[in-house]
Order: sequence, then C-alpha cells, then structure tokens
Amino acid sequence: MRASRGWIVTILIVTVLSLLLLAPTFLGDSTPSWWGKLFPDRGVRLGLDLKGGIFLLIGVDSEKGVEQELAGIKDFMTEELKGDKVLIKGSERTDDTLTLQFFSKADLDKANGIAVTNFSEISDIEEKDLSLDFVLKAAYVTEIEGRAIDQVKQVIENRVQELGLVEPSIQKAGDDRILIQVPGASEKDRQRIIDIIKRSAVLEFKIVNDTGATEETALARYDVANPEELEGQGLMLHPGDTGAENEKFFVTTLDAPVTGESLSGARLIFDEFGRPAVSFNFKGEGASKFGVLTEENIGQRLAIVLDGTIKSAPTIQERITSQGRITGSFTAQEAKDLALVLRSGALPVPVEIEQERTVGPSLGKESIDKGKLSMTIGGILVIIFMAFFYRLQGLVANAALILNMLFIMGFLSAFGVTLTLPGIAGLVLTLGMAVDGNIIIFERIKEELRTGKSPLAAIDAGYGRSLWTVLDANITTLITALILFWFGTGPIKGFAATLSIGIISTVFSNVVVARVITNFIYEEKKVPTLSI
Amino acid sequence: MELLKPGTRIDFVGKMRKAIFISIALIIISIGSLIYHKGPNWGVEFTGGTEIHIKLAKDLSIEDIKSTLDTTGYPPEVVQQLGLKGDREYLIRFSPDLVKFDQIQGFQTELEKIMATNESFKGGSIQRVDYIGPRVGKELIRKAIIAILLGCVGILIYVMIRFEFGFAMGAVIALLHDTLITLGAISLMDKEFTLALVAGLLTVIGYSVNDTIIIFDRIRENMKKSGKLSIREAVNEGVNQTLTRTILTSLTVFLVLIPLFLFGGSVIHDFAFTLIVGAIVGTYSSVFIASAFVVYWREKKGSS
Repeated sequence: MRASRGWIVTILIVTVLSLLLLAPTFLGDSTPSWWGKLFPDRGVRLGLDLKGGIFLLIGVDSEKGVEQELAGIKDFMTEELKGDKVLIKGSERTDDTLTLQFFSKADLDKANGIAVTNFSEISDIEEKDLSLDFVLKAAYVTEIEGRAIDQVKQVIENRVQELGLVEPSIQKAGDDRILIQVPGASEKDRQRIIDIIKRSAVLEFKIVNDTGATEETALARYDVANPEELEGQGLMLHPGDTGAENEKFFVTTLDAPVTGESLSGARLIFDEFGRPAVSFNFKGEGASKFGVLTEENIGQRLAIVLDGTIKSAPTIQERITSQGRITGSFTAQEAKDLALVLRSGALPVPVEIEQERTVGPSLGKESIDKGKLSMTIGGILVIIFMAFFYRLQGLVANAALILNMLFIMGFLSAFGVTLTLPGIAGLVLTLGMAVDGNIIIFERIKEELRTGKSPLAAIDAGYGRSLWTVLDANITTLITALILFWFGTGPIKGFAATLSIGIISTVFSNVVVARVITNFIYEEKKVPTLSI
Repeated sequence: MELLKPGTRIDFVGKMRKAIFISIALIIISIGSLIYHKGPNWGVEFTGGTEIHIKLAKDLSIEDIKSTLDTTGYPPEVVQQLGLKGDREYLIRFSPDLVKFDQIQGFQTELEKIMATNESFKGGSIQRVDYIGPRVGKELIRKAIIAILLGCVGILIYVMIRFEFGFAMGAVIALLHDTLITLGAISLMDKEFTLALVAGLLTVIGYSVNDTIIIFDRIRENMKKSGKLSIREAVNEGVNQTLTRTILTSLTVFLVLIPLFLFGGSVIHDFAFTLIVGAIVGTYSSVFIASAFVVYWREKKGSS
C-alpha cells in the first residue's frame, strides 16, 4: 500500500469528523447553539461513576396489570348480568385465568353469550360445568404488561421532569424494569426523587361509615373477624393519618365513586392556620360525579384516601363540584411534591426500587481527576518510551496513537456511548493493543532490515507480514467484545462498546495511519537509512 | 535500537515442563484460596445488599467507626478500609437479608446526623450509595458468566478457522488459566469482587488472547516456511522471534498500569491491581501454557 491520495484523504476526513464531533467536549457550555442542528451537540458523556449522580432501577409489577384486567372483566360481567337478573355465585383468579361460577346452566349460557361477544378477542372462553373460564391470550397478556410498563414510564417521566433537574434520563430496561439516571443530582434531590417515584398516588374519595382508635373498635359494629370480611358488606377498612388520636382506623364504602383520575390540577396552598396543604380541581365529568357524591351525602364525612391511607375526613356541608383540598402534617416541600404526583397521575401498577446507586459529586470529580492524572502520566511515559526506542518511527507511532485517541473519542460521542469506569478499562486495553500493534510491525521491519533489504522494501515487508498478525489479534478481541456487548448488561455493555470502537479505530491507525505517514516520509525524501 | 542481540535463542520449550508445574501450583493456590474464602468476595452488585462509601476528615479506627454506626439502630455488617490508608475512605456494607430499602434510607438520615454532630465524624461525607435488590444481582452474575463463556466459544471458533484446533484449545486453556489465577490473586488479597473487577477480568481475557495469537501467528509462519522444522523448533523459534515484542509490550503496558495503580484513586486501584496481575500471567501463559499445549497436541497427533 502506497501513501495513496485516497488514504490520505480518508485520514483527513476522519480526523476532521472526529474534531467536529468532539467540539462540544472541548468547548463545553460555550458551544454555539446552532451547533446542535448540524452535529451531535453533546460531547463525550460521562457515566455516573465518573460524574456523580443518581441511578435507580425500578421493578414494575406488570402482572398486577393482568390482575386488574381480569378484575375489569369480572366487573363488566357482573354489571351486564345484573340486567338479565343473573347473579354470579363466585369467582376465582389464577395467573392469566378468571373463573366465574354460576347457579344454573341457564345463567351460564347467558353469561357465555355476553362473554363471547365482548371478550373473545382478548381471551379464550371455556365453559365447564356451571363455570366459565376466561383465559387471557398470551399475546394480550404481553400487550397488557407492555402497556403497564409504558404507562409507568410515562408517569415517572412526568414526575421527574417536573422536578426541574438537569438531564434526567428515563429508559425501559428489559421487559419489566425502568432505569432512571439523573447525573449530578445532590443528596437532597435523591430523597425527593425516590419519594415521588415510589408514591403510587392513587387518590380516592369515599364515604366514612365508622371510625375507631384501633382496628377492633372500628370493626365493632360489623360482626366480622377480620377486615377482609367487610368487603362482603360493600365496606372497607383504611388506616387513618388525620392527626386525630381516636381516629386511627376508618370503615368506608368499598367503592370509590370519584378517583384521582378525574383531577384537572393540584397545587400547594396554605390553609387558614398557615399550614401547607394541597388543593385540587376537578374536570368536566369528574366535577359532576363529585357533585353527585357530595350532594347525596350532606352531613356525612368524606374520606380522602391517598395510597390506601385516609389523609383527611371533612364533614360534607354542601354540594361541591369544582375543588377540594387535602390537609395533613406536610412540610411545604412535601405538599408541593404531593401536588406534583397527583397532577402526573397514579401509577397503574405498583413499583419497587430494585437498585440504587448514588455517587456524590465529590467522589465523581475525584475519580475523574485521578483517572485523568494517572492516564496522562501513563500516556506520556509510553510516548517518551516509543520516541526513545524507535526514534523517528516512534514519533510516527505516537502521531498515530494520538490520532487514534481522537478517533475513539469522536466515535464514542457520535454513538452516544457513555464513558464509565469499565469503559476506561476498555480504553486502556485498546491503547495497549495499539502500542503493541506498532511494536509488532516495527520489530518485523527491523528483522527484514537485518536480512539486507532496502528501507522501503523492509517497510513493505514488515507491514505486509505483520498485517495478519495484527488483524488476528484484534479480530479475536473484537469477537469477545461484540459477544460481551450482545449479552452483557449495564457496565459490561459499556466496556464492550468502548472496546469495539477502540479496536476498529486501532486497526485503522496501526495499518493505515502509521503506514501512510511512514511512506510519506520515506518516499518523498528518499531517505537512505531508516530511523527505527 | 536493539533490546536483545539478534539471533538470541532461549530454549523455552525445554522449560515448559517446569512452567507447567508452576502453573499447576498457582492454580491450586488460587482454587485453595477461593475455597478457603468461600468463593470470590462478591461485591454488593452481585449479592444484593447495600454499600455506602464514606470519606472522613479525621483518622479513626475501623472499630470506632463501627461502634458509632451501631448506635444508629441499623448496625452494618462490615466496615472496611478502601483504597490506601491515608485516603480515610471506608466502605459500610449491609447484607441483603437484614435491610430493606426504607431502612437504608433511615440509616442514611442517621449517618448524616452523626456527620453533622459527632466531633470525630465532622467534615465527613457520603461518597456513594449502592443499593441492589437480590433479583438484580443474580441476573448480573448469570449474564456475566454466559457472556464470558460465549466469548470463549467465539475465540475457539475463530482461532480454529484461522489456525487449527490445537491452537484454538491452547488459546482457550491459556485464557482460562489467566482468568483463574487472576481471580485467585484477587481472592488471596481478599479484595472485593466488584463490577470494576469484572471489567478488569474481561480486559485480562482480551489481553491474554491478543498476546497468545501474536506468538501463534509466528509459530504458524515458521511451520509453513520450512517443513523440516520440528514443532518444538518452530515453537521455540516463534517465541524467540517475538521475544523483543513481548518484553516491550509488557513494558509499555506496565508504564500505563503502574500510574493507574498508584494515583488512580480508590475506585481504580483494585482495577489496576487486577490488570497488573493479569498482564504478568497473560504474558507468561502465552509463552509457556498456550505454546506448550500446541507442542503437546502436535506431537500427540504426529505419533498417533
């Protein structure tokens, strides 16, 4: 391969492209705004381990979505059959199957008719003696679960965006997890982020039947052994957090005629005592539903239930349509965040924090500073060594090495790879291999010179014979890197991505860049001796 | 410049028998240490649990830190030194069965109070908090192992296509040899096996293969060049021809790694340790283990 024009142009193009891609990294905040329209406007992204910030992995209980779907089918069937004066004897749910039991064959037939018209698209309906099975189709289950995670992601996105943090990233991770990353978040932000994410924010409005300081006193009138049995009477037990000592438990209606879904807004207010509270408004249909609920129950107490706990239970004085408020022992910040989660809507299914990683900004900065320092020392030592040992060829290798670094960084930003500690490991390996490639080629050239070849012939033979050695060594490593990229997760993926990009760039620098520079020097000047 | 006199001939093949004994001894020590320590000292990323990394402003003994932390009502399982002694950085660990996410938050609130009020803790800061649920950790181990095994298969296939089966086996044996001994060194030093060390181990694998292939390439060339050379001669020749390169490359790798080890900070320190051990073992195994297997396999094939 000669120092052909084609290769020289290629090297120049790649160099300019890398510089353009890296401009935001060097310029930082002073990058002009029009830049983003033409090129990626972000330089090399640093991972949380290097930059500091918070990383949360949220597990989404998407099976709950299936449960809710089946409960919905049951409600629909109950409602429809009521018109035909058919009662459901009992029901049972296992995994993806809902079983409804009936008193007679005639009832079952009626139910079957309704079921087939309404649910045959989403489930297989199987008739057994006096019972009907709804087996959700596998594709539909996948759809429900997918929808659940999408909704959770949407809700969390709304909530986190409203906190006004810099560059939060919310992504799906696998089938049932959501990854939240907020670089540069402080300890205070961390607490708030966790609080607003974990909150289901299911707001319900019910009517209070009874109260008590303990579970027993609350249940005293109902002749039941445990709270679950209340459901048979259309009632439910809730713990209370209203501040009143003799009202730690409430018995309310089972159904919630109005829920948080009908809210049109919520905001922080201060009540007449100057305490923080949350005021909320209803929209169209919600307003009329709330109007009906309050009108029918004047004189009774309204239970405002947040995530299963009764926050306040004011007595209804008159019909209310437009707005209401939640009081309680909040700080202003808590009330503000509660208003935020109410605005962003409830989580459709429960979530759980499966992993958290918070790196303080000082550790992040220290890692970067120390990493930079130690890598710079290492890099300079290698550059000095190469120049000392291989003279002019060493300088060529150094030029190729620096260009290689530039290419790798450029492509890392082009592909949006986040540089983490394992990524730096990949870089160190890549640079080691790059230097190794040069050493292999140069030692080969020396060998060829010893056999009495002219400098140009030795260069040709040296590069020619080492080509496959360098390729083999790099390809085997590239195979490993690609497999790791495919099957690895998180940090392993980052390592593999950096390594893959690094290897490709290294081969290019070793066999093309270094060669072109070498040929350029020796062909143009017709140097009789080789400085190696 | 020449590092070695041209025409240097060291009888590497003759020393392979000794080398294999050394390797077996090292592997036994590694496995012994792993058994003694009941496997690697898995980091929190793998076992699940919580790790809190703190930095203090004053020198305190591990016992003092532990006893103060016990007063929070959430006694940590382990408190250990991180990085070098002067760094005053410590790792507080909670086992996954003891503590739930909410409790960790409780502990943190208490810890912040201590750092604000307790004289000897004043000026300290929480550097990093890692909470990992048990489900995540198990998945991570499984996926990492699958990825590494598939990586080995990939290498085996490529080397088999480019060289021949004996070479491929030699490369993979050397790779496993290096991984095991590096793992043994980590275990002997009782270092925590974190994700950063997994990255280190993966780097060692990459380095090991790279190094082996370069020597193999030369052996193959020698085998093709003159059919008269015995496999022993071809291997010896190849190792000697690449000896300068082997020494120089190792040297440059150390030029990069030693500053990382010394100045890289607590996070990079253990990672650099892994790479240094791996680079030494990887270079050694390319010369002795991988090449020895090629000699063994070829001679066995020739005699049968």
